[in-house]
Amino acid sequence: MPKSQFIDPSEVRKSGKIIFKDIPVNQYEKTIDQEKENFSTEDFLRIYRDMAVIREFETMLNAIKTTNEYNGIQYNHPGPAHLSTGQEASSVGQAYLLDKDDYIFGSHRSHGEILAKGLSAIEKLSDKELLEIMESFFDGAILRVVEGKQKNKGSVKELAIDFLVYGTLAEIFARETGFHKGLGGSMHAFFTPFGIYPNNAIVGGSADISVGAALYKKVNRKKGIVIANIGDASMGCGPVWEALCMAAMDQYKLLWEGEHKGGLPFILNFFNNQYGMGGQTTGETMGYNMLARVGAGVNPEQMHSERIDGYNPLAVIDAIKRKKKILEEKNGPVMLDTLTYRTTGHSPSDASSYRSKEEIELWAGNDSLEEYMNKLIKAGVAAKEEFDAIGENVRELMTKVCKLAVDDSVSPRMDLMKRPDSISGLMFSNQRVEKMEDRECDVLISKEENPRVQQIKKKIRVGIENGKPVSKNRVYQFRDAVFEAMLDKFYTDPTLIAYGEENRDWGGAFAVYRGLTEALPYHRLFNSPISEAAIVGSAVGYALCGGRVVVELMYCDFLGRAGDEIFNQLSKWQSMSAGVLKMPAVVRVSVGSKYGAQHSQDWTSLCAHIPGLKVVFPVTPYDAKGLMNSALMGTDPVIFFESQRLYDIGEMFHSEGVPEGYYEIPIGEPDIKKQGSDITILTIGATLYTAMNAAKILEEKYGMSAEVIDARSIVPFNYEKVIESVKKTGRIVLSSDACERGSHLKDIAQNISEMAFDHLDAPPVVVGAKNWITPAHELEEHFFPQPEWIIDAIHEKIVPLKGHTAKNNFTVNEQMRISKAGI
Amino acid sequence: MATPVIMPRQGQSVESCIIAKWYKKKGDKVQPGDILFTYETDKATFDEEAKIGGTLLELFFEEGDDVPCLVNVCVIGNEGESVDEFNPNAGQPGQEEDKKDSAEVKKEYEGEEVPDLNTGAVPNGDRELKISPRARNMAQRAGVDYRLAGGTGPQGRIIERDIVYLRENGPVLTSAARNEYMNTEGVQLPSGTGLGGRITTADLSAPAHAAAGAPVRSSEARPDYEEVKLTNIRKVIAKAMHHSISSTCQLTLNTSFDATEILAYRKKLKEGRDRLKLENITLNDIILYTVSRTILRHRDLNAHFLDDRMLYFNNVNLGVAVDTERGLMVPTVFNANLKSLNEISSEVKRIAEECQKGTVNPDLLKGGSFTITNLGTMDIESFTPVLNAPQTGILGINTIIQRAREVKGEYVYYPAMGLSLTFDHRALDGAPAARFLQDLKAGLENFSILLAK
Repeated sequence: MPKSQFIDPSEVRKSGKIIFKDIPVNQYEKTIDQEKENFSTEDFLRIYRDMAVIREFETMLNAIKTTNEYNGIQYNHPGPAHLSTGQEASSVGQAYLLDKDDYIFGSHRSHGEILAKGLSAIEKLSDKELLEIMESFFDGAILRVVEGKQKNKGSVKELAIDFLVYGTLAEIFARETGFHKGLGGSMHAFFTPFGIYPNNAIVGGSADISVGAALYKKVNRKKGIVIANIGDASMGCGPVWEALCMAAMDQYKLLWEGEHKGGLPFILNFFNNQYGMGGQTTGETMGYNMLARVGAGVNPEQMHSERIDGYNPLAVIDAIKRKKKILEEKNGPVMLDTLTYRTTGHSPSDASSYRSKEEIELWAGNDSLEEYMNKLIKAGVAAKEEFDAIGENVRELMTKVCKLAVDDSVSPRMDLMKRPDSISGLMFSNQRVEKMEDRECDVLISKEENPRVQQIKKKIRVGIENGKPVSKNRVYQFRDAVFEAMLDKFYTDPTLIAYGEENRDWGGAFAVYRGLTEALPYHRLFNSPISEAAIVGSAVGYALCGGRVVVELMYCDFLGRAGDEIFNQLSKWQSMSAGVLKMPAVVRVSVGSKYGAQHSQDWTSLCAHIPGLKVVFPVTPYDAKGLMNSALMGTDPVIFFESQRLYDIGEMFHSEGVPEGYYEIPIGEPDIKKQGSDITILTIGATLYTAMNAAKILEEKYGMSAEVIDARSIVPFNYEKVIESVKKTGRIVLSSDACERGSHLKDIAQNISEMAFDHLDAPPVVVGAKNWITPAHELEEHFFPQPEWIIDAIHEKIVPLKGHTAKNNFTVNEQMRISKAGI
Repeated sequence: MATPVIMPRQGQSVESCIIAKWYKKKGDKVQPGDILFTYETDKATFDEEAKIGGTLLELFFEEGDDVPCLVNVCVIGNEGESVDEFNPNAGQPGQEEDKKDSAEVKKEYEGEEVPDLNTGAVPNGDRELKISPRARNMAQRAGVDYRLAGGTGPQGRIIERDIVYLRENGPVLTSAARNEYMNTEGVQLPSGTGLGGRITTADLSAPAHAAAGAPVRSSEARPDYEEVKLTNIRKVIAKAMHHSISSTCQLTLNTSFDATEILAYRKKLKEGRDRLKLENITLNDIILYTVSRTILRHRDLNAHFLDDRMLYFNNVNLGVAVDTERGLMVPTVFNANLKSLNEISSEVKRIAEECQKGTVNPDLLKGGSFTITNLGTMDIESFTPVLNAPQTGILGINTIIQRAREVKGEYVYYPAMGLSLTFDHRALDGAPAARFLQDLKAGLENFSILLAK
C-alpha cells in the first residue's frame, strides 16, 4: 500500500468494460521449407534425435515396468515411472532455444524435459565446460561410470549425452551414481549444471517454486529465464493460482525501480496432455474449455497467453522464441498452454479405463516423431535411412546405458549398513555462509541514517533496571531484536530479500520491519499477495537457486495454507538433492493470541514432526537476536516462531542486556532461565513467562524451588541440560501454548522418560492448552496454561503439595475421560 | 513431648519380637543411649536403646510378651503427660493390631502434605507397590527397604521424599499398611529354614548362656531343680529339631579322607598369609570351598524336599552352623560356588562374628541349600548331624585322627579326617549320597587339582 499510488474514487467508480484481446490458439502454420531459413539440416535432424532419445528412454522404462526386460536386459523397477511417451515434441521444442542459464522446473512426468533440456544444453556448451561440469559433479563419480565402459571414446558431447541419460536413469533406479544419489528418483530427478531444476511429485508444486527462481534471477541480475512445467490439471491447485498472482504482481512494473523495473522472466507452461491422471480437464474436471483462457484473467497483458501445438516441435520452438523476447523486454510473465497427449498411461499400471482405444490410436496415428520425420523427408531435408540410423543409434545408447544402470557393481545403491548416516548426513547442510554472494548490497541509506536505528539507540537494552521493569516505551523490545539481526544481514548479504504480507510500508503487522522500508529498495523488501503457499514456495525457489530469503506468515494459523510448501518443499530439497541444493530460507511465523480459534494456535509441533526443518521459538530479545543471527548465517531452512504476546517485551533474563554488536546463539541449545533444585519446568514459547510465575508461587507458597528451562529451539534439540536438571530435581513439568494432544512436548517428555528413567520421581507431565478451539481473549485463561495449572498438575501427578487444593482436574481419571471423548 | 518407642523390625521376614528383659521400669529417668529393653527374634537378641531422654511414662508390654513389630512398646516423655493415645492395647483388649496405629504413626513431613495412609493413599485391594524409579534407586543406595516407606506421592506412590524420611526417621507405616506389606511379600514364619546339627552339644555346652536373657521364675519352695523358661531361640531350635527328626527319613553315612594335602596347603597359605594378604584360611573353609565346587554335580543334595516336589538350587547357598552363647545359629554363605576360597573364608568369619554379637541380619539366617557343621574342633570322631529341613543334606566335619595304611608292605600313618553326611532318604537313595562323599573325598585329597579347575 504505497502512498505514491492514489486510489481515486472518481476513477475506480467510473463505468466502462474490460476488453480482452484474442488468445491465439495453434496459430503456427509455417512449412518446413519456410523454416529452412531458421534451421539447418543438422538442426532439423538433431530435433528428431532428441525426440527419439526421449521416446526410446520412455519405451525402455515402459518395457522394464511392464515386462521386467529391455533388449535382453532383465530388471525389476518397483518405483514410479510416469512416462511422457507422445509428449516428446513439446519438451524438445521448449528446450531447443534454452541454455544452461535458463532454468526449467518440472513435474512428476518430466523425464522428457530433463533429456530435452540436457541435450540442448550439451549442444550449446563447449567441450571444456562440459568436461568441467562432469568432472566436478560428485567429484566425477557419474562420469567415471560412463567413461569406464566406453571402449572407443567418442566426442565429449557424446560422452556428455551418455552422462545425461545415465545420470537420469541411475537416479530413477535409486542408484548412488544417479544425479542425486538415488534420493530423488523418477519424479524428482534434475541436474542444475544444465539448468534443469527440481521436478516435483506434488501436482503444481513447481509453480510457486519457479516464481522464486525467477525472483532470484531478477533480484540478483542473473541471466536467463525460468520456466515452470506443470500439467493442465494443476490449474486446479490453489498454489498454482497463487504462483500466477505472485508472478504477475503490478509492482514489478509500477513500483520496482531502475534495472529491476519490469515483469518477471517467467513462463508458466502447462504441458497440457488433457488428463489429470484419468480426469479430463476439458469437459470434465475444469471449466476453462481451453486452458490458455485462464491467462486472460490474470493481468492486462493476459499473461501473453496462448495455446500452441505441442505435437509439432517447430511450433513450440517458435512460441518459445517469441515468448523469450517478451521476457527479455521485461514484459513477462507468460503463460503457455502447450497442447500434447500421452499415449502411455498415467503410470504403467494405468488400464486407461477413462479413455477409448480409438482415441489413443488416433493420437498414435498423429505421432509427433513420425509426422515430423515424414515432413522432413517430404521437404527433402533427409532420407528415411538417416532417420533409421538415428533410431538405431539411440537404441544402442539406451541399451548401453540401461546395462550400466542395472549393474550393481558399477551402479551400487547407498550402503546404509556400511554408512548408516548417508541419508541423515544430508538432512541439513549445516554450513555457515555469511553472504551468499560477494558484492555490494542494494540499500537506500546507511544504517546510521535509519530512523529505527536512531530510535533503538535511545532504548534501554535490559528489561529490568534497578530491580524495576523498564517501561515499554523505553525498553529495547523483542521486535527490535529481530529487526537488528535482519538489518545487519541486509547490509552484509546482497542476496537477502524479505517479503510477505504487509512487510513494506506497514513494517510488518507487528512492526518488526519498521525502518526497513526506508532502508531497502522494492526488490529487497516487498509486499506479497495474500498467498501463503506462494510466499513460502517462492522462498524455496529463491533459496535453492542460491539466494538468502526471509518470508513471513502473519499468523501461525496460516501455516496450513503453506502446508505443502513447508512440509514437502522447504524441508525436503536439500536431502532429495543429495546436498546439491542449499536452503538458506527463514520462515518467520507469528503465533497469535486474542483473536480466537483461527488466529491463536501454536503449531510448532507440526513443524517439529517434519524431517528437514530447523525449528526455533525464542521468547526473549536476547535469544531472538542471537537465534535470528544464527538462522541467517546458516544454509538450512529455519521456521522461526515468534509470539505476538511478546513483541514489546524487554530482556528480563540476560542481565547484561541485548548486545549491540553481532552474536549468535546456536540453534538447538535450550537455556536455563532460572536455577532451582526441586522441580524442572521446561517450556516452549511464551509459556516461559507463565512458568516463571508458577515458579514464584511454588517457591513462596510451597517452599519448592523450580528450575525453569526455555527450550528456545525445538529441532535440533540438545537434551543434555534438561537431563542434567532432571537428574538433579527428579521431576519435570513441560508446558507450552500448543494443544496438549500431539504436542511436541509429549515427544520430549517421552525422550526424558527414556533418558532419565532411573532419576525420575514421577512421570514427566505435560501441561498444554486444551484440545479445543481457542476461545475469545476474555476466556483464554481457561484455554492456555496458567501458573495455577502447572501447580495443580504438580500436585496431582508429581508430588502432593501441602495445603494445596487443586482447582483444575489433572487426575488420571480425567485424562482417561477427555481422551475417550477426544477432547 | 511424649514419644512412643516402637518394636523395631529386624529383617524383612520378622513379624514380631519377644521382649526378653526390661532394664527400665515405669517412672525411671532415661538418657539417650540407655538400654530400655532387650528383645528377641527367633534368631537373635537385640538391645533397644533410648533415642531421647525423659521419663519412662508407660510400658505397654511385659517381659516375654510377643510384640508385633512397629507397635508401641513404651513411651518416653515428661512427667504428667498423657500416654493414652499411644497405648496399642487401648480400646480392644487382647487385640494386638490396633486400628488407632495409623493416627499414632502418621507424621507430617516438613512443608509437604502426607495423605492419610488409611484412606486411599495405599488403596485396599491394590496390592501393587508403587514407587518411582528415583525413590527405588535411592532406597537401594541407602540400603533401606522401600516397602517400609509410606507412599505420599500421587496414588500412594512412594517417591523420593518418602525414602528420605524412611532413612532419617525409620518406618512410618500404619498397621494397615504393614499388613499390606506383609501380604504383599507373602512372608511365612521361617520354621522350615531353622536349625540343624548339634543339638546336644549346644544344649550341654551353654545352657546358662542360652538362658541368660530370660527371666527366672523364683520359687519359694526352692526345689532341687531350676525351672528356666525357654528362650525364644531355644523354642525355635526345639521345634525345628523335632520337626526335622519327625518329618524326614534321615540317616548318616560316615567316611574319612586323607588330609595330607589340605594340611600342607593350609600350612603354605599360613606362611605366605601376610605377603599374599589372605585371610586365615582354615580347614573348615577348605571343606566349604570343596563342597561348593562338588555339590552342584549332586543336585539332589543341593535341594529342598517339599513333600510333592523338589527345589533344586542353581547356586550353592551354604549354611554354616555357628555355636553362640544364645544357641545354635546357621548363617548362610550365598552363592558360595561363585566365591573364591579367600572370599568364603572372609565371609564365614564375618557372619560368624555377627552371630556371636547378635547383630547378624536375620535374612542371612535362612535360605541355605545345604548345611555344614563342624564338631571336629571338639575332638568328635563321628556323629549324626540333624537335617536342616527341608534341606536334603547336612555334612558333619569330624576331627583328624592318625590312621595306618599299608604302603609297599609297610604300615604308614596318615592324617584321616572324618566326614558324616546325613541325608533325607525320601529325596535320594544311599548310593547317590555315597557318590557325593566319594566325589568330595577325591576333591579334598587332590585339592590342588580342584583349585586348578
